[in-house]
Amino acid sequence: MLNCKKASQLASRAMDEKLPFWKNLTFKFHLLLCRNCKNFTDQLEFLREASRRLTVSKEFELSAEAKHRIINKLLEN
Amino acid sequence: MKTPNDKLDPHTWLNEHGSYLYSYALLKVKNKHTAEDLVQETLLAALAAKSSFSYQSTIRTWLVGILKHKLVDHYRKQRRMIAFEDLTNEEDNFLDNYFTANSRWIDKPEVFQNPESAFQQQEFWKVLQECLSGLNSRQAEIFLAKEIYGMSNDEICKCFSLTPTNGWVILHRARLALIKCLKKNWTD
Repeated sequence: MLNCKKASQLASRAMDEKLPFWKNLTFKFHLLLCRNCKNFTDQLEFLREASRRLTVSKEFELSAEAKHRIINKLLEN
Repeated sequence: MKTPNDKLDPHTWLNEHGSYLYSYALLKVKNKHTAEDLVQETLLAALAAKSSFSYQSTIRTWLVGILKHKLVDHYRKQRRMIAFEDLTNEEDNFLDNYFTANSRWIDKPEVFQNPESAFQQQEFWKVLQECLSGLNSRQAEIFLAKEIYGMSNDEICKCFSLTPTNGWVILHRARLALIKCLKKNWTD
């Protein structure tokens, strides 16, 4: 039987690739029985969605002023 | 004159890669102005070193490489040592922060109640950004490569010279740490 530590590793890996057949089976079985790990998979989905939207948040955009300033600097050279 | 070197135009660099370089720098230095300056210095250096660009790498990888050197200079100036490879010793102990000796959760994971409402709030993005800054630099780079820039595991392993297992381990840890940080600093 898979423990929660191992299951959490598989949960993360499953975000990025298809798990091998048997690993996937034991993992899915664990999720059926374990509320905590099921919640962890939901948290992972939340984190992914948040990260994907982060780039569209203004915090991570180079401002127009900064771009303008940099272009001018580049033209000087 | 149009040549294949068209790709090597600083305006294009700024428009296509400026925000990427900026977000990369911002996560490391946590200060907008310093991050903007680093982008500028990177592009100036790139312009000067144009001829050394090799088509074996993408423009973005090349620019990030230059930015990394600029970051090192920056930290040197601040007389701060930055450990780019700081995930060796505490590796084994890391998961002990999350799991008991018999491998059960210490803090039981609870779902985030209202994703959509969180995403609407500026405060949430600040918290997430701070949590990302709290990761060690390698974790942050790899997490960003994965979740924000959508690199596949194969690409990540090649780009960061990792075995697949190390790639999974790092992403798992980054995710655990980020979720913990969000749970602590964001009330939904």
